[in-house]
Amino acid sequence: MGDPIPSILHADLDAFYASVEQLLDPKLRGRPIAVGGSVVLAASYEAKRFGVSGGMAGWQAKQRCPELLFVRGNFREYQRLGDAVYHLLCDYTPAIERISIDEAFLDVGGSRRLFGPPDQIARTIRTRVRDEIGLPISVGAARTKHLAKIASQVAKPDGLVVVDPATERAFLEPLPVGLVWGVGPATRERLERRGITTIGQLADADPRILTRILGDAMGQKLWERANNVDERSVRPAGRAKSVGAQSALGRVAHTPDLLAEVLGHLADRVAMRLRAKGRTGRSVTVRIRFPGMRAITRSVTLDDPIATTLTLREVAERLVVGALREMPHEREITLLAISVGHLVHHDALQLELAVGDDDPSRMATQSGAARLAVDQSMDAVRERFGTAAVGYGAVVLGKRRLVPDEFRELAERDR
Amino acid sequence: MRLTCSRDELATKLALAARAASTKSTIPVLGQVRLTAHEGIVELAATDMELSLRVPVEATVAEGGAVVVPRLATDIVRTLANGQVEFEHRANEGVVSLSGGQSSFTLNCLQATEFPELPADDGEALSVPVAPFVTTAERVARAASRDDTRPVLTGVLVRIGPDGITMVATDSYRLAVMQTPLENPPAQTREAIIPARALQEMGRLAAAMKVESFDLILSESQAVFRIGGARLTSRLIDGQFPDYRQLIPDHFEHEVVFERAELGAVLSRIGVLAQRSAPIRLAFEPGQVTVSAVSEQLGEGHESLPVTFSGEPLEIGFNAEFLRDGVENISGDEVKLGLISPLRPGLLQSGGDDGYRYLLMPIRLNV
Repeated sequence: MGDPIPSILHADLDAFYASVEQLLDPKLRGRPIAVGGSVVLAASYEAKRFGVSGGMAGWQAKQRCPELLFVRGNFREYQRLGDAVYHLLCDYTPAIERISIDEAFLDVGGSRRLFGPPDQIARTIRTRVRDEIGLPISVGAARTKHLAKIASQVAKPDGLVVVDPATERAFLEPLPVGLVWGVGPATRERLERRGITTIGQLADADPRILTRILGDAMGQKLWERANNVDERSVRPAGRAKSVGAQSALGRVAHTPDLLAEVLGHLADRVAMRLRAKGRTGRSVTVRIRFPGMRAITRSVTLDDPIATTLTLREVAERLVVGALREMPHEREITLLAISVGHLVHHDALQLELAVGDDDPSRMATQSGAARLAVDQSMDAVRERFGTAAVGYGAVVLGKRRLVPDEFRELAERDR
Repeated sequence: MRLTCSRDELATKLALAARAASTKSTIPVLGQVRLTAHEGIVELAATDMELSLRVPVEATVAEGGAVVVPRLATDIVRTLANGQVEFEHRANEGVVSLSGGQSSFTLNCLQATEFPELPADDGEALSVPVAPFVTTAERVARAASRDDTRPVLTGVLVRIGPDGITMVATDSYRLAVMQTPLENPPAQTREAIIPARALQEMGRLAAAMKVESFDLILSESQAVFRIGGARLTSRLIDGQFPDYRQLIPDHFEHEVVFERAELGAVLSRIGVLAQRSAPIRLAFEPGQVTVSAVSEQLGEGHESLPVTFSGEPLEIGFNAEFLRDGVENISGDEVKLGLISPLRPGLLQSGGDDGYRYLLMPIRLNV
C-alpha cells in the first residue's frame, strides 16, 4: 500500500487559546481557566477535566467547575504565537498545509536526509515549540493525513503518536467514531443510534446503509476514512482565491431585520479582510442553509471589483432575498455565508469625474470613494483599538453575537 | 455612365469618401461608395447611416449616371499608373470597367438604386471659420469616450454663440474644454452633442477641400457641414451632457508650472514603465517633483525635476497616457498644473491662457 513510511505529520497546539493565556500570565498556570465570558471559547486542560468545553454557556461551566477562572481573549497574541509556531514548522519542509490558527499538516518524507526520520522530526518540533515558544503541541505521524490527524488527537495532551503502517487497522478499530474527520456531534449521534460507536464498526458497516443515513457524499466519505482510504496529499497554500465568512444561526426565521444584521456583519468581516490584503473581488457568493442541512448557494459576477462593506452587504442581500423568494416554503434558516472570489490585487484605482450616475457601489465614483474612505477610517480605528471599537450602526447594535469577532477571524481562513 | 479623371484626384477622393463607409455592417452596400455624374457634377458618397459624406470629384463626363463602386476600386485606382483613369459603368452587364496606363479591370458592381437615400443637407446655415473650429475640435475630441455604453460621452458638446466656439469632451476620467473666440460671433447660441468621430472626419475633409470657412447647419437630430462642395452629415447624440463648469474646481491649493517640452520628455521616458493603466506618480516636495512608475514585473524608474512647490509634500498618481495626452495638447512653452489633494482632480492649462483646460482625475494610490 504505497509508501510504507509514516511521513505525514499533524501538529496541533494543545488547548491553544488557554495555553497562550497561561504562558502570558504565570498565575494562571496549573489552574482551570476559560477564555470567554457568557460563552466559553476555549478551556485549559485543567478545566476540561471538570467537563468544561468550548461552546458551553458560562454559567454552566461555572457550575461544573466552581474554581473556573474566566479570562478575556488576547486575540492578537493568539495570531502572533500561532504564526510563530507555523514559521518554526516551516523549517522542516516546504510541504506544509496550515489548516487553522493552531494546526498544520507537514509532509516530511523529503526531509529525512536533513533532519532525520519523521518520528525524530516530530520529537524535535515538540521540543522546539516547548522551549522556544513555550507552548505544548501534540503531533501525530502516519501514512495519510486522516490517520495523522487522528493520531495527534490520541496523543493529546502534549504527546506524540506514530502509527506504524503495519498496524493501522488495529490502531483505528477501537477508537470512537467521533475522531473521524467530519463526524460532528449530530452525525455521531445518528451513527450511535444504529450501534456504530467505534471506527472499526464504521469500517465494517454497509456503505449503502451509511449513504442512506448520512447522504451520498458524506456516507461514502466517512466509510472510506474508516477504511483508511485517504489519497489526499499535503498541499501548501497558494494565494487565496476567495475570502469568506459564515455565521451559524441556530434555527431562526429569516426576517428582513435578521438578514440585514447577519449579512451586514458578515460583509463587514469579509470586506475588512479583503482590504487588509489589498485585494478586491468581482464575484460574490452567498450560501444559505436550511434546517435539515439542505443548503443553496447563489453567486453573481460584477462589472467592477468591490471591497467596500456597504456594497458587499447590498449585493449579498440582493442574492439572499432573491434566493429566499424562490423558496417560499422555507421559513427558517440555520446558516448564512458570504464569500468574495475572482480576487485581483488592488493597489491603484482610476477615479472618475462626477458625470452621470453617481453609483455608490462602484469604488471609482465620488460616493463609492466616500464609502471606501469610511471603511478605511474604520479599518484604521480597529487596527489601533480592536474590531469592536467602531462599526456600522445596525451591525454594532445587533445582540446576537456572543462570540467576539476576533475569535471568528482566527477561526476563518481564506481558500 | 462614362468619365475620365486624373488618377490622383479619384484616388484621393475615393479614400476620403470611403471613411464614411461602414466596416462592420452586414449590408454590403453600406461598405461601398456611390459615384454619380449629373449635369456636370461628379460626386462620391458613402454612409454608415450615422455619418454621411458627399465629396465632389473633378472629372470630364462623357455620359451621366450613377453606380455603386466596389470597395476594391479604391485599392485599384491608388495603384494605377500616374495619369488619366477611364471609368465606365456598363449597366446592362452589371459591371464597371477601370483603365489607366496599360491596365484594365472589370469589376462586378451593385446598382445605385440599392444605395440608401442620404439625409437632407439644407437648413439655416451658420458660416464658421475653419481654423478655430478644427483646432478646437482636435484638442478636445481625444478626451471623448470610446465606450458605447454611455453614448453621451462618445460625443463632443459643441456650442457656438457670442462667446465664440466652446467644445467639451469627457470620458469620465478626464475632461477637455476649450473656448475659442470668433471675430464675428453669431448673436444666438446654438449647441449640440456631435459624435467625436464626425468632428475628426470634418477636420480631414476641411483640410482636403482647402477652404477658409464652412456652413454649419444644426437641426433637431443632425448636423450638416457644407465644406466647399463637400458635405458631411452626422446624427446628433441625444441626452444631457455633463455640466463641465460644475466639474472644474474654482480653486486649487497648488499651481505648479512646468516647461512643457521637459515635462513631456519625462513623461515619455518614465511612462514606458507605466504599462496597462498602471499609474505614473508625481511626488511633490518643496522645490522639486519626482516622477516615477513601478511595474511589479518590469521594474522601476524615476526622475526628478525642479519646480516651484511649497507646503506639505503631496503624492498623486495619474494614468500615464491620459496625462501625456493633456500635456501634448497644451500650446505654448509652459504647462500649469493645478492640484488640490491626491484624490481630487488636477487641472492642466497653458501658461499663457489660450482657453484650453484639461481636467484629469487621479488614480488612487495604495488603495
